[in-house]
Amino acid sequence: MPAVQETIDAVAEIDVDKYKYGFATEIESEKAPKGLNEDIIRFISAKKEEPEWMLNWRLEAFERWKQMDEPSWARVDYPKIDFQDIYYYAAPKNFEDGPKSLDEVDPELLRTYEKLGIPLKEQEILAGVRRPGEPSPLDDEASDNVYSSGRVAVDAVFDSVSVVTTFKDELAKAGVIFCSISEAIREHPELVQKYLASVVPVTDNYYATLNSAVFTDGSFVYVPEGVRCPMELSTYFRINEINTGQFERTLIIAEKGSYVSYLEGCTAPQRDENQLHAAVVELVAMEDAEIKYSTVQNWYPGDETGKGGIYNFVTKRGDCRGDNSKISWTQVETGSAITWKYPSCILRGDNSQGEFYSIAVSNGAQQVDSGTKMIHLGKNTKSRIISKGISAGRSSNTYRGQVSAHKKAADARNFTQCDSLLIGDQCGAHTVPYIEAKNSTAQFEHEATTSKISDDQLFYCLQRGIPEEEAIALIVNGFVKEVIQALPMEFAVEAQKLISISLEGSVG
Amino acid sequence: MNIQKTAAEETLGFMLPTRRVESFHYTDLRANLKSLGEQAARPEDDATRTMGDSFPRLASDACVLHFYDGHGFERNETLPEGVMVSRDLPDALSADGGADDTIPQINSKITTAGVSIAVAKGKEVTQTIGLAHAHTGAAESIASTRFSITAAEGSTSRFIERQMGRSDANHMTSSAVSLNVQQGAKVEYFIVQQAGVGATHLARLNVTLAQDADLSIFVLNAGGKLVRQEVKIAVNGENANLAIRGVNLVGDNAHIDVTTVLEHNVPHTNAEELFRNVVAGDGHGVFQGQIKVAQPAQKTDAQMACNTLLLTDEGDFSAKPELEIFADDVICAHGATVTDIDDEHMFYMQARGIDQKTARGLLIKAFVDEVVEELEAGEELEEAFTGIIDDWLDANI
Repeated sequence: MPAVQETIDAVAEIDVDKYKYGFATEIESEKAPKGLNEDIIRFISAKKEEPEWMLNWRLEAFERWKQMDEPSWARVDYPKIDFQDIYYYAAPKNFEDGPKSLDEVDPELLRTYEKLGIPLKEQEILAGVRRPGEPSPLDDEASDNVYSSGRVAVDAVFDSVSVVTTFKDELAKAGVIFCSISEAIREHPELVQKYLASVVPVTDNYYATLNSAVFTDGSFVYVPEGVRCPMELSTYFRINEINTGQFERTLIIAEKGSYVSYLEGCTAPQRDENQLHAAVVELVAMEDAEIKYSTVQNWYPGDETGKGGIYNFVTKRGDCRGDNSKISWTQVETGSAITWKYPSCILRGDNSQGEFYSIAVSNGAQQVDSGTKMIHLGKNTKSRIISKGISAGRSSNTYRGQVSAHKKAADARNFTQCDSLLIGDQCGAHTVPYIEAKNSTAQFEHEATTSKISDDQLFYCLQRGIPEEEAIALIVNGFVKEVIQALPMEFAVEAQKLISISLEGSVG
Repeated sequence: MNIQKTAAEETLGFMLPTRRVESFHYTDLRANLKSLGEQAARPEDDATRTMGDSFPRLASDACVLHFYDGHGFERNETLPEGVMVSRDLPDALSADGGADDTIPQINSKITTAGVSIAVAKGKEVTQTIGLAHAHTGAAESIASTRFSITAAEGSTSRFIERQMGRSDANHMTSSAVSLNVQQGAKVEYFIVQQAGVGATHLARLNVTLAQDADLSIFVLNAGGKLVRQEVKIAVNGENANLAIRGVNLVGDNAHIDVTTVLEHNVPHTNAEELFRNVVAGDGHGVFQGQIKVAQPAQKTDAQMACNTLLLTDEGDFSAKPELEIFADDVICAHGATVTDIDDEHMFYMQARGIDQKTARGLLIKAFVDEVVEELEAGEELEEAFTGIIDDWLDANI
């Protein structure tokens, strides 16, 4: 049985105009002139008060980028991007000198956060911004329960700059450095120099190289040896300005025996033009360390005809550098007109583990080409991939993943499961796995299925008096459960909400 | 960018694909095929014939069409009733897929011999039709053939395409076959590749399936140095049924690539695909299997499995099982595994007094023989196939 008529109608009805985060915030902002050239890079570098080495590093990347070609292998289709028609730097004017207290924060921006419904108690957290060094009632309260859960330190990135980072002092007490990458370049150059581009080389790919030349902000996390980061760390990205690109750079280092959980969320206003987002995220896990990286990506997906929306070209890679280290990627992808994203793990250390849990929902005219790479280099390394793709409307949803075992990766193990669910007959679901074994003791298992919601399941629910739309929602929730469970609790709630918004009409 | 053409590219007049071309991701044809060599002369003595005849026959009752070094020879075959053979070279396979169709393009440039075979409407042909290719494999020689086979409405037939050789000198062979299975026809098509260890064998089988057609394909690779066997199937008729099975035995120094593309274009069709691979020495095995389901092809049921035993750390195996699906009411699945022999299985055997080497041999044999059993091709053929597998295992494991 094809999708029931009601479902088809409902799918037809949804337009992505229901995008809940499609407001623009009117804040005076300062922009660099459009276009990309050496002067712009010097301008960005100067704005960030960067040291000479950083500027040279950027300029070198730019030189290399000019010689590279845009990749074309992904199953996505979009008009050629004019890289000279983009603003590479935009900063909310009021924050040029950095926020000193919430009073100085533009009320418009605060309202933005309110509208975003940033997970948790973000409003309280943002309200907790205070003058540096000045005692605040929150301090005492906080010091008592540093290790209590339920609080999140937030680094908010607005267009090109980090506007506010919360709970900094408290984290500092534990020895954790959590700040914007610009600040890290100024304050901790030795760490940045040591680790920047050590996981994603400058010339790794076209967008990573572009990012290296023009990245404007992002987060930096350093967790020292043996420290379990006392709270979840979170970054909120928002592209606000028209025609701006957002190029953030995130670097997370977990020293021996440490643990950190990092959350990332993204939104953008509704605009007719396409906007470019090309981020680079690098994770380094040393011996016995664990990094958990969760993303809820909800960039504006464009309208139902495919007009507007964010081009999301992201390079995310984790390096399990030490023995027994572990990196876990969890992603819920509901937004963006085009997603091109493969969070990967290089399992270098012996006994290291990589995990990838993904839900990719596409609707309207969205195009998703996403997946992961698990590169087994060390002995006894393990990886697990669970990918759930849901396509509706006229969207195209591709899983592309690579699992490889190097000659020396004795006893490497991988389990991959990628399931696709199709809602409506105008969408596409594709699976492109690359399985490469060079070691005889490696054990790789790959399973993939594609189907629609089974009639039996639906019948079972209907028969018990559950209305069809609710039944579909129930089944879809069951379909993605394995991944939702891997998300931190607070995010799980938001993720479920997001999936139902994205599929609104088709899953009730 | 101006790239220096290789000798092979000069001869062919087009560029060969590198790994950057997705369909050649694991087989760099440009790097592996630098020059083409010369067309092998028509063998006038009996040496080639004797060599070809030294390979044991697969089906005792078969009517065999003989090709020696890429040249057709008539040996007074009596064709079964209802089978027509034309000795004119059939048209080249269509090659509008760009770089994806490199092998048909190469074949069209180098082929001088081939036949067209037609099985008449409603005829049930019980005698197996053999297409036997024996290759002397002189250094830098080329031997290539092309076939066009039409199985008319309601007919039943079985074909075995066989490549044989013992040469370890660098030589090239090629085969291009277009197989048209018309409404309600039932066809079995078996490819048995036993080329010499010096052979570069580039082959393509193009198939169209009409309504109610039933096709079983079997590919057995047990030879060659660089082998690329492509199978491209368009399922164009409702209720068509398709099974592709294969055993790839990848020996030391060999690179064997099997690439299949299944296009489901109409509703209500079934496909089942099963490949078992064994990699020994420093062999490189490749399996690329694509299942495409077009928007109108509702109710497609397509299953694919690819299991590999990688026996050494020097060898490698790469698999790319792809699904490309545009219809919502389908059941499609693929599974792929790569592993060594299960320790528990070994223990079970050894606990029963079977020595390690024998136990290993038995388990490998069981792993691939299973595919042959599924063919239900009759005792004689199954034994012939397992015999080839046994010989290979004895020589390589």
